[in-house]
Amino acid sequence: MATFRAEVFQNEFLPDGGTDVHAIVTVSAEGVGGAATTGGGVAEIVMIDTSGSMTGPMLAAAKHAAQVAVDHIPDGTWFAIVSGSHVAQRVFPYPNAPVAIVQMEPAAREEAKRAVSRLGAQGGTAMSTWLRLADQIFATQPAATQRHAILLTDGKNESEPRSQLTSTITAVTGRFQCDARGVGERWQVDELREIATALLGSVELIADPADIAEDFRALLATSLSRGVADAQLRVWTPQGGQVLFVRQVAPTVEDLTARRTDVTPLVGAYPTGAWADESRDYHVAVRLPSKPLGAEQLAARVQVAVADEVVASGLVKAAWSDDASLTARISPEVAHYTGQAELASVIQEGLAAKAAGDEATATVKLGRAVQLAAETGNEEATSKLRRVVEIEDEEHGTVRLKRGASRLDEMALDTASTKTSRVRR
Amino acid sequence: MDGVVSEPRAAVACPACGEPAGDGARFCEACGAPLTETGSREGLPSPDDSNPVPQPDRAGGGCPACGGDVAGDGYCTRCGARAPVERDHREEQPAPHVAGVSDVGMRRRRNEDALALGVAGDVTVLVVCDGVSSAPDSDVASQAAATAARDVLVAGAADVGADDAGGWSRLLVAAGHRADDAARTAVDDATARQDPPSCTFAAAVVGPALLVAGWLGDSRVYWLPDTGAPEQLTEDDSIAAELMAGGMSRAAAERSPDAHAITRWLGADAEETTARTVATRPSGPGWVLACSDGLWNYASAPDVVAGLLRDALDRAGTDPAALSRDLVAWANASGGHDNVTVALARVAGPAPASPEPAAAAHADDAGTTPTVRRRPAGSLREEPDAPAP
Repeated sequence: MATFRAEVFQNEFLPDGGTDVHAIVTVSAEGVGGAATTGGGVAEIVMIDTSGSMTGPMLAAAKHAAQVAVDHIPDGTWFAIVSGSHVAQRVFPYPNAPVAIVQMEPAAREEAKRAVSRLGAQGGTAMSTWLRLADQIFATQPAATQRHAILLTDGKNESEPRSQLTSTITAVTGRFQCDARGVGERWQVDELREIATALLGSVELIADPADIAEDFRALLATSLSRGVADAQLRVWTPQGGQVLFVRQVAPTVEDLTARRTDVTPLVGAYPTGAWADESRDYHVAVRLPSKPLGAEQLAARVQVAVADEVVASGLVKAAWSDDASLTARISPEVAHYTGQAELASVIQEGLAAKAAGDEATATVKLGRAVQLAAETGNEEATSKLRRVVEIEDEEHGTVRLKRGASRLDEMALDTASTKTSRVRR
Repeated sequence: MDGVVSEPRAAVACPACGEPAGDGARFCEACGAPLTETGSREGLPSPDDSNPVPQPDRAGGGCPACGGDVAGDGYCTRCGARAPVERDHREEQPAPHVAGVSDVGMRRRRNEDALALGVAGDVTVLVVCDGVSSAPDSDVASQAAATAARDVLVAGAADVGADDAGGWSRLLVAAGHRADDAARTAVDDATARQDPPSCTFAAAVVGPALLVAGWLGDSRVYWLPDTGAPEQLTEDDSIAAELMAGGMSRAAAERSPDAHAITRWLGADAEETTARTVATRPSGPGWVLACSDGLWNYASAPDVVAGLLRDALDRAGTDPAALSRDLVAWANASGGHDNVTVALARVAGPAPASPEPAAAAHADDAGTTPTVRRRPAGSLREEPDAPAP
């Protein structure tokens, strides 16, 4: 039986006239069991880029990885394989099969691997067609409520306007979760990040095609460990109050603010996708009308809901005080994750400025990133930053752009920018 | 951790005194109160219900701020206001001549003051404890301490002669130690905490011809005779009192930055918990007032307090409950910066034929080491007092 816990970290004291309340809410799930325990079915779709650029060792590695994935999908799981170029095609079940998705069993496993082995590479890249086909396939099996896809590409989404991809992402958001993987150095981090963010998945760079298979195996293991198909984060704010933002801040930074759907006028629900035994941190910021000194009130109830049932609840409070020793303190958790969120955005802005030739802005932003990574103890970010900038003074964020930094290093930094270090407690 | 609503405590303790009740027992072994009813004596607040937990079934209207529903977590589901808890305002009146009110005040989030009153024969017992707000759970400690001290004093009354000032002093010291034990054990992990729950202690035992007070910290006992000079019997264990002992005026000392820092208290980090005591012999009728600093912040010097009581008598009459309520309301109207606790007992004074001298004579109660003389010479100059800023 899955149990959720919500723990609140905040400084509830506000100075006279103060309005904004910040809290970090740690949500942990225990005893979740695996995906097989969700009750509804589990469905997996693997989307492989078969555009012309994949020709050669890259395609071979991708095909091998897809076969490894098929090996690791347990019997009984609904699955399909899609090949994508400027159009999408169902590879397995075969295009002429009467059903779009089948349950894994030994014969299907062998037939699927055979189908993958016959894939060749040609054509352009229009990922919206891949996502749309995956969505259609999932839709044919309503009993499979826990839906997960893997998208692998090596290139830019060049065969369609970006707006086409964006509108498709919007259309399929909430219908399945998708992890996005870029192999090599010709793909666009921001394109895959847009997909993964909307579809509650992760984005990763795979530098060496030989590593794709291991990554797929790990992705499937993670997906199949998720025994809670879908949980919502719900935030109640008092009448007259306003949610400033709701952000997942660990393990990665994901802004959920715009993903709100109203449960009641005072309660908003934010999607969090499927859960394994894990813990995630959320930064909730609420604005309240100021109250007189001495007043205390609830600023937010932060709840976890599974299948419309509230399974955990945390209270975010506000108390107005004229004691500066109380009001001046910033919760270490809030400070840490405020820094981590800023770290993610300055890395992305710095790299974007560098790509646009604005070296002055890039130097300032990446310098700030070095400073924040050091302050918040994010060693992974620091080590990735070191490959892109020469650090002169970590504490003050003084850096020089590294001449001849490789595109792969920049992409690795960009991709990892949203990964946060947990606050030290 | 937030977000966990505790289970309501099982009703296995005496509602009146908190003593664990045996299975099937109909009356409390310790105090004799009936166990079959959930309410305590005459609907008085149960002294041990010191940390009420919002019950899950509390929903269903009742937010005093907006009329919305109050959720099981104790906050309104519409406006987020904290619903008042029983501890926010408590009244006790164990007999017609004695009553007390403890109130959260206007600025504090919870009431960490505690009150415990009792009557044993012709002896009246007043106990006020003020939880140290910087230490979490001091509200639990203060109520445990007050209740424990009151119980010691009420139970011991039978063994002390009505006129035995030394005996009463020793009993007050014992009550202080018992209260300290209660404060130390009020939460399981008190000794492990850096800032363990702690509180002040001020107690008075009042007989027809003798009044003995004991204290640690800055909660006070005043003797306010109908005629004659009013007195502050206690001498604060506080930085302000030390400044005054050094010659500073009361007004200046009480305005100093550390005025409210107390130098003695009860709790796991207390070093010296032997109450100081003082005795006085009323020469005529009057009022004994025990209070927390939530009241004396706004009226400190004895003649100011006496004037305040006269005004209250004009407004509220002579019922000590009405008077206590009036004084609490006055403190709240004056700012209510802190929790306010006021306990009042009417003293008839010695019979008219009594050979006692007219002026109050302080018992010297030799033999009770803890008893100290009031006020070192030169301190505590009486002067009009300005309300706290």
